[in-house]
Amino acid sequence: MAARRPTQTENRRAVIIGGVRTPFVKAFTDFTKMDAIALGDAAVSALLERFPVPRADLDALIWGGVILPGLAPNVAREIALDLKLGAHVEGMTCTRACASGLQAVTLAAAAIERGEADVIIAGGSDSTSNAEIKLPQKWVHALAPLALGGKPTPADYLGVLSQLMPITDLLPKQPKIAERTTGEVMGVAAEKMARRNEIGRAEQDEFAVRSHHRAANAIATGRFDEEVCTVTTPEGTKVYADGLVRADTSTEKLARLRPVFAKDGTLTAGNSSPLTDGGAAVLLMSHAKARALGFTPRAAFRSWAYSGVDPADQLLMGPALAMPKALARAGLSLANVDLVDMHEAFAAQVLSILKMLASDAFARERLGLDRAVGVVDPARLNVHGGSVALGHPFGATGARMVTTVANELFHSGKETALLGICAAGGLGAAAVLERVH
Amino acid sequence: MSDLLVDLSQQPMFRQAVKQLGLPLPMPEKLRRPRGPWEERPLQDRNVVVFAGGALAEVFARTLAPAGATPHVVGEAVTAFVAPGEAWGRPPVAHAPGDTPPEGLRADALLFDATSLRSPADLRALYDAFHPWIGHLGRCGRVIVVGRPAQGFTNAAAAATAAALDGFVRSVAKEVGRKGATAHSVFVAEGAEARLPALLRFLLSDRSAFLTGQPWTLDARVTHDGKAPGVRPLEGQTALVTGAARGIGESIAHALAAEGARVVCLDRPGDEGPLAQVASAVKGLMLALDITDPDAPAALRAFVRDPANALGHLDVVVHNAGITRDKTLARMSPEYWDQAVAVNLTAVVDLTTALLEDALGPQARIVCLSSVSGLAGNVGQSNYSASKAGVVGYVRALAPAIAERGMTINAIAPGFIETRLTRAMPAMTREVARRLSALGQGGEPRDIAELVTFLASPGSAGLTGQSLRACGGMFIGA
Repeated sequence: MAARRPTQTENRRAVIIGGVRTPFVKAFTDFTKMDAIALGDAAVSALLERFPVPRADLDALIWGGVILPGLAPNVAREIALDLKLGAHVEGMTCTRACASGLQAVTLAAAAIERGEADVIIAGGSDSTSNAEIKLPQKWVHALAPLALGGKPTPADYLGVLSQLMPITDLLPKQPKIAERTTGEVMGVAAEKMARRNEIGRAEQDEFAVRSHHRAANAIATGRFDEEVCTVTTPEGTKVYADGLVRADTSTEKLARLRPVFAKDGTLTAGNSSPLTDGGAAVLLMSHAKARALGFTPRAAFRSWAYSGVDPADQLLMGPALAMPKALARAGLSLANVDLVDMHEAFAAQVLSILKMLASDAFARERLGLDRAVGVVDPARLNVHGGSVALGHPFGATGARMVTTVANELFHSGKETALLGICAAGGLGAAAVLERVH
Repeated sequence: MSDLLVDLSQQPMFRQAVKQLGLPLPMPEKLRRPRGPWEERPLQDRNVVVFAGGALAEVFARTLAPAGATPHVVGEAVTAFVAPGEAWGRPPVAHAPGDTPPEGLRADALLFDATSLRSPADLRALYDAFHPWIGHLGRCGRVIVVGRPAQGFTNAAAAATAAALDGFVRSVAKEVGRKGATAHSVFVAEGAEARLPALLRFLLSDRSAFLTGQPWTLDARVTHDGKAPGVRPLEGQTALVTGAARGIGESIAHALAAEGARVVCLDRPGDEGPLAQVASAVKGLMLALDITDPDAPAALRAFVRDPANALGHLDVVVHNAGITRDKTLARMSPEYWDQAVAVNLTAVVDLTTALLEDALGPQARIVCLSSVSGLAGNVGQSNYSASKAGVVGYVRALAPAIAERGMTINAIAPGFIETRLTRAMPAMTREVARRLSALGQGGEPRDIAELVTFLASPGSAGLTGQSLRACGGMFIGA
């Protein structure tokens, strides 16, 4: 019997061929000399080694980043040029805080499904080690007549000097992860969420330990081999594996750590995601193109959704709104989803969101649903660990999650997975992935 | 508008000095006022201590958590607060009755459900609840006692008990006023409970900063669809403000526009300059009209109905225009009498009558400006007080007639407000007027504008026919 011919929509559907990421390492360690562009170069070149797409067929790069290099913020285009992918490989860079990586991937899927492109590499990278220290804008304004004018006179120099007082206004600002509108540091916001959702220290530490043990197991069993590449640093060191995962951690060890965001708080360095350097890239194609080039699709998007809440309220609760939205668009309920993968900014944040999803009251008041979205079985959640253990290079996390989940669906024979990411600005992101048959 | 004493009272050194020297100087607390339009969570991170022994625990719980407050529940009613606490991340903190409040806990509000009190002996519950907690009420805090209206009881003892709440609250208002804190009694008729959250949100918020010692009666007389938007309550609505060129009227125009209303700014011919400025600042329309002119009602109606103005109808009408023509009765000219009555009362009646024909929207809100002088009388203001008391009677009488159409009409009686008029008063008189109130200071035009905005909002459907003082708890007035 002849196979049914795929429909036009099926042909255009964006499928995930695979993904590769750099090892994730602690900021100011191995990758200190590599900025977001260099980390992107590493991830994309490794991706193309594993999935050799003819360069002429590659249409574009879409990249996500949070700490963008000030002098070359279009990281995607820089990567394409660095790697000499061909001048025709166009590039754009997007930013949606910690959801930037997923944003890049869903932008690519949308572009392919709309027919703008057939093959796109999407991903993200961030280097906390290369956060730029910003000079106060007063410098810029004061120096403009000297920098941009014709021939400055001595009076101009004096004028500039007089504008540069008092000197305290001119000190560079220390970069920190704080909300622009509220000034609140993210850890403090997460600490508040822990208190307001009644998430205890022990619960958080237990979650963090599980994240470490699962990630360590994935590394030890070689589960990450196909998605993590070796990176050679400018100093010539070869970095083979993730640097932050602690196989030997335990709740006893974590219990000894002191709270970092509030005196009587519950968040510690052990149950929060650390500052991390790294990059991740995902290869997407239209289904027809994948068939033509002989690549096997691992997964595809069934839906995605983004959401916003007031950053002054519960800053990191976004996924509690976005995940139900993505489920509804996919026509699925939480109970039918085989895997759940959530970005772990803080153990407390994940546990708060799980509590919201499991609450009838939350569903009624905040989602307009009759009953709770559902209870997430820990056995289905973050099966290979998450950001608390692996680390969180802001722009890379979304692409890391898409890669790991697509591979998991492909290898395990499971059908569907739900992703959830919280992000600064009160944003939430979610997506439903499914296996492609 | 600067009040030197309020400013100085902010200085710890000044407070210390006054205290040490034993100076008989009042030190009024700077009132906490809102910035910007209505917010989703007006009670963000506020500690509200709830004594919920009656029927209202559920209503309180559904009001506080979404508004951002942390409920501290004294007694058994805590269970009602668990589900909303879970939905909004505001789990209740339980306190045992009779326990002393925890060290260091500052209460931003004390909220008491008195609906179950039926006999004078029951009133002891007020003492038992407030006695240990009142000292923990923070700066600019709120005390709110919610009961049933006395007139709803056939049993005289129950009616007396309900009426007692008013006296209790008025005294508490005077005791806590020096902290900038205020107190209110709310009387909710059976069946009007759903209209309580909007009022509580307003009273508990900074928007009620200058109101105190005020009884509020909520009933379900006015037809209402139950909608009470917490932000941008006037989106898509049209409003008329008379006397909008300056002072309180200007402030009202700004406040209504900030909540989304398209505002028609009306003032008398001759004031076109400032009127145009206000109308342009609020992106509204301008109408220069002498409201005492016999043709004014028809002209206003025509303006509203004129398709060129794209108004269709008015959803909010604020009769703010008013004049004083002060003289003791023996020296008063007939012109003085006529002018005051024509602007302050006749125009209100005639314009409203004309608009009611076909120029008001369903669920329209009418707000009239009265005055504490109208309630208490004042030397040299027989004309003014007559007109302003007339307004009180007008809203009371008109309210039932328009209730079925979903419309409300209420009056606001401002006390001492810092405006161009009061700045012209002799310094000593002004100083006395400011200090002779529970809060020890004058109000600002925006305090009136905040109350007008609340009364203009869809959620104020429970209030009609009432005259509400905005006077900081003046010693005179009803």
